[in-house]
Amino acid sequence: MATPEDANASLKTEVSEIASVHPNQSPKSGVSSAKPPQESTRSLWLRRTVILSFWAVAVLLGLPVWWKTTAIYRSDLPLQAMSDWAEGKIGKPVFPLRIAVEAPILPQDTHSLIQTTQHVLDDLNEFSAHQLRLMPVDPPLTANASQHVVVDGTRNSGDDKDTTLLIRLIPVETGETPRSYLQPYSPTLHVYYSPSHISSVSSTASPLAAFIARELHDIFAEEQAQLAYLLSTTSGEHIAKVHSLPQETAAELQRRSTRVLKYAPTYHLTFSLFTPTSTPSAWDIEAALRQYMAPLLESFSAISNFTIDTQVQLYATLSPSFPPPEYDENAKAWTLRNEDLSGFINAAEWPLSPSIADGPTVNFALYVPEQSQSPLLVKDSGASSWLVPQWGGVAILNPPSTEQDAAPLSALSKEALAPAMQTFSNQLISLLGLPQTPASLPLRLSTLTRVRAASLVFSASSTLGALAQVYQKLPSIPVPDTVAKSVDLALQHLQQACDELREGRFQGALEHARIADGEAEKAFFERSMVGQVYFPDEHKVAVYLPLLGPIAVPLLMAALKEIKNEVAAFKARRAAS
Amino acid sequence: MKFSSALLPLLAAPLAAAEHTSNWAVLVGTSRFWFNYRHLANVLSLYRTVKRLGIPDSQIIMMLPDDMACNPRNSFPGTVYNNADRALDLYGDNIEVDYRGYEVTVENFIRLMTDRVPENMPRSKRLMTDERSNILVYMTGHGGNEFLKFQDAEEISAYDLADAFSQMWEKKRYHELLFMIDTCQANTMYSKFYSPNIIATGSSEIDQSSYSHHADSDVGVAVIDRYTYYNLEFLENKVRDPTSELTLGELFDSYDEDLIHSRPGFRYDLFNGGADAARSRRIVDFFGNVQNVEVDDGAKRNETQWREELEAIEKMIEEAKRRHNESLNVRPQALNVMEEVQHSERQHTIQKEGAVRMDEELSWKKQVIGGAALLGCAGIWAASSWLESL
Repeated sequence: MATPEDANASLKTEVSEIASVHPNQSPKSGVSSAKPPQESTRSLWLRRTVILSFWAVAVLLGLPVWWKTTAIYRSDLPLQAMSDWAEGKIGKPVFPLRIAVEAPILPQDTHSLIQTTQHVLDDLNEFSAHQLRLMPVDPPLTANASQHVVVDGTRNSGDDKDTTLLIRLIPVETGETPRSYLQPYSPTLHVYYSPSHISSVSSTASPLAAFIARELHDIFAEEQAQLAYLLSTTSGEHIAKVHSLPQETAAELQRRSTRVLKYAPTYHLTFSLFTPTSTPSAWDIEAALRQYMAPLLESFSAISNFTIDTQVQLYATLSPSFPPPEYDENAKAWTLRNEDLSGFINAAEWPLSPSIADGPTVNFALYVPEQSQSPLLVKDSGASSWLVPQWGGVAILNPPSTEQDAAPLSALSKEALAPAMQTFSNQLISLLGLPQTPASLPLRLSTLTRVRAASLVFSASSTLGALAQVYQKLPSIPVPDTVAKSVDLALQHLQQACDELREGRFQGALEHARIADGEAEKAFFERSMVGQVYFPDEHKVAVYLPLLGPIAVPLLMAALKEIKNEVAAFKARRAAS
Repeated sequence: MKFSSALLPLLAAPLAAAEHTSNWAVLVGTSRFWFNYRHLANVLSLYRTVKRLGIPDSQIIMMLPDDMACNPRNSFPGTVYNNADRALDLYGDNIEVDYRGYEVTVENFIRLMTDRVPENMPRSKRLMTDERSNILVYMTGHGGNEFLKFQDAEEISAYDLADAFSQMWEKKRYHELLFMIDTCQANTMYSKFYSPNIIATGSSEIDQSSYSHHADSDVGVAVIDRYTYYNLEFLENKVRDPTSELTLGELFDSYDEDLIHSRPGFRYDLFNGGADAARSRRIVDFFGNVQNVEVDDGAKRNETQWREELEAIEKMIEEAKRRHNESLNVRPQALNVMEEVQHSERQHTIQKEGAVRMDEELSWKKQVIGGAALLGCAGIWAASSWLESL
C-alpha cells in the first residue's frame, strides 16, 4: 500500500479535528501519526453496545426460540403407578362371591347352618382370591315372608345382581336326601333335605352342611380353575396362590385361551353361504338367526354386543392348492383330510375381509357342496364342521341324500339351516369362552363376566406397563397431554374395577375394566406419539452448520476482539498506574 | 417341594403356548420410477406367494410406491412380470395394494407397525395383530449402511425399525416376526434390532451391493433381484401347498452365494431358543396361514333339546326384562329412553362442542398473540422515542 504524504496529512487533520471536538480526549492521539487515532469513549461504548445487543438477541431471543421449537413435548406420566399395575404390585383382583341361603327354618338355625357350611367350604377352598361367602337372605325370613316367597318367587330380584347364587332349602319327606337340583335358567340351587338334618346343623359333621359345601365347590370348580389359570399366566405375583391344577385341566385351559376371542365390547358376526355351483342361491337366514341365534346373543348382552351381516357367494370354488376330496367307499361319502382343513377357506377368493364396523369379526361359513360331491365329511371323525381358533367356524351342509336325483335345492329353509345354526351357536359359545359347567346358564354367564373383567384388568395394566416402558426407552417420541389424561382415567377406572370386584359387584367391575382398557389403548395408540425419525449427530451438524456458521463467526470474532482490546487496555492502565 | 410339583404344568404352560392363530404379512417396496421396476416385481412376487399359501388379503399389507403396470413406458400395459419368459402376470386380476404412491412414507410405515393410525383408517390398511400373530416383514428398495431409502425423498434407519419393533413387542403385537430385506448392505438394517422373537435375514453384507437377476429386453429393465429370485425359486418349487413341512433352516441353506452374488445374512440371537428353534420354524408359519382347527366331535347334540334350550333362554330373558321393569316401577324404561336420549345428545353436543371449542380456542389464542404483538410493537416504539428524546 502506498502511503502518500497527503493521505497521512488529511488523516492528521481529521484526527485533530476530532481532538478539537472532544477536548477531553488525550492529546497524545493526535501526535502519533502512524497509528489510527484512539477512538472516543463514546464510540467505543456505542460499538460495545451494538455487539452486546446482537449477543442479547441471539441469547435471549434466539436460544429460547430454538429451544422451544425443537424441544419434544413430553407430558408427565405416573410411570411408577403404571409399572406397578403392570407388575401386579397393586390391584390384585379378588372374587368374593355372595351366595344367599334361603331356608324355611328358624333364623338361628339358618345362621348356624351357614356358619358350619362356610367353615367346611373354607377348608375345601385352595384358591384364596376366589371366595364363596354364604349369607342369609335378608331381611331374615319370618314365616310370613317365606310364604310370601313361595307365592312370588322373585321377591329377591332387587338385590339379585350382587348375589351370585341363591340356595333354596326345601324340606322333603321322600326320596334320597340331601339332594340338589341346579336350575338351568336361573341362578338358584335347590337343596332337598329331610327335616332330621336340621337338628345337627351346628356340629361340623353335619351331613347337610358338608353336602352343600361340596356342591358349591363343584359348581365353582371350573371357574376357580379358569381364574387361577388367568392369574398365573398374566402376572407372576399370583403364582404362589394358585392351587394345583391337574395337568389335563391346565392343558384344556390353555387350549381354550388359544381359541377364545379377545374381549371386545362389540363383535361383528358374518354368516356366509358358499356354494361351488349356482344353487342354493337363497337362504332364509334372517328367520333362522332370529329363531336360533337371537336368544343366545341376547343372553350375552350384559357382556358384549353383536352386529350381524350375511352374504351368499355362488360359484365359490376351493383354492387350487387344496387337495380335492376323496371318495370313501366305506362311509359312502366324500372326505376331507383333517390336516388339510385349515386351507379349506379360500382366503384369496372368498370375500371374508373384516367388516368396516368396530370390533373384531367372527366368521361363520356354511359350505354347501355340489350334488356330485355330497355328502362331504371330514375323514375318520365323520364330522361336518370345525372351529378355527379366534377366527370363527365352518360348517358343511349336505343336502338330504334322498333327493339325489331331484333338482338341487334352490333355497335353504329355516328348518334346513337348523343343524348349521346349532353348530354355529356352539362354536360361538366356545369362541366367546363361555365355560362348560355348571349347568345353569346364568351362572356360566356370571362366571364369564368375572373372567372377562379380570382379563380386562390385566390387559389394561399390561398396556399401561408397555406405555411406561416405551416412554422411558424412547425419549424422542412426543407425549401430549391427552395421553396423561387417558392414563389417569385408566388408572382411576382400574382402581374402581378392583374395588367393585372386591365388593362383589361384578357387572360394575366389568364396566370399569372396559373403560380402563379402552383408555389405556387410547393412550398407547395416541396418534401423535410417532417419534421423529432417527437423526444421527452428523446430520444435526450438517443442518446447523450452514445456518449458524455465518451468524456465529462475526458474533464470536467481534466479542473476542472486544475482550482482547479491553484486556490490553486494562493491562496498559495497570502498567501506567 | 409342594409348590414346584403343583406349579410345574402352569409354569410350562406359557412356554408351550408357542402357537400362533393368525399370520400377517407386511410387504414394502420403497422405490419409484420405471428403472426400479424390479423392486415392485419383488414385492408383487412375494405377495403372490403369501397369498398362494393362504394369507388372506385382509392380513397382507402391501406398500407400492409406483404403478408399473400402468407406466407409459411399459410395453405390456396392465402387467408386471418377474421373469423374462413372461409366463406369470403378477398383477393378475385380484390384487390389493394398501398403500400406494406417495402414501408410502417412513412415517406411514412406522404408523402402520405401531398402529398409531388416524381414527378413520380402514381396517384393511391396519396391522391388527396381537400376541398370537406371526408377521412377515419384507422390504426392498435402495439402501445403504443402516438406512433404506423411501421414494428418493427420505430414509428409514435401522434405529427407527428397531424402535418400531420394540414398541410392537411391548404392546404384544406379535408372537414371532420374520424380517426379510433385499437391498444393498441389507444386513446392516437388522443389526440394531433388540426386541425378542425376531428372525432376520438380508441379501447382502455391509459394503456389498445386492444385484438384479436378469433383464427383460422387451420390458427394457431388470425384472427381479437375485436374492428375491432365489427365495421365490425355493418357495415356488418346494413349498407347493400350505401343508408343507419345510423349515426356515432349509430355505436359508438353499441360498447360494455364487448365484446371489452377495452374502446373505441371518440373525437368530433375538429368537427365543436361538438358532435351532428359529431354523426349525416351518416356512408356512410365516409365509402361510396355518391354524390348528378343532374338528367338532361327530357326536351330534340332540336337536330337539337344543330347541327347547333356546326357548327356555328366550323365556328367561323375557322374564328378566319383566322383572327388571317391575322391580324398578316402570322407571327403567323411561330411564333407559332418557339415558339413550341423553347419551345421543351428549355425543352430539360433544362432537359439536369439540369443533367449536377448537375454533374458539384457536381464535382466542390468535387474538391474544396478535394483541401481545401489537402491545410489544407499541412498547418498543414508545421506548425508542423516549430514548431518542433523552
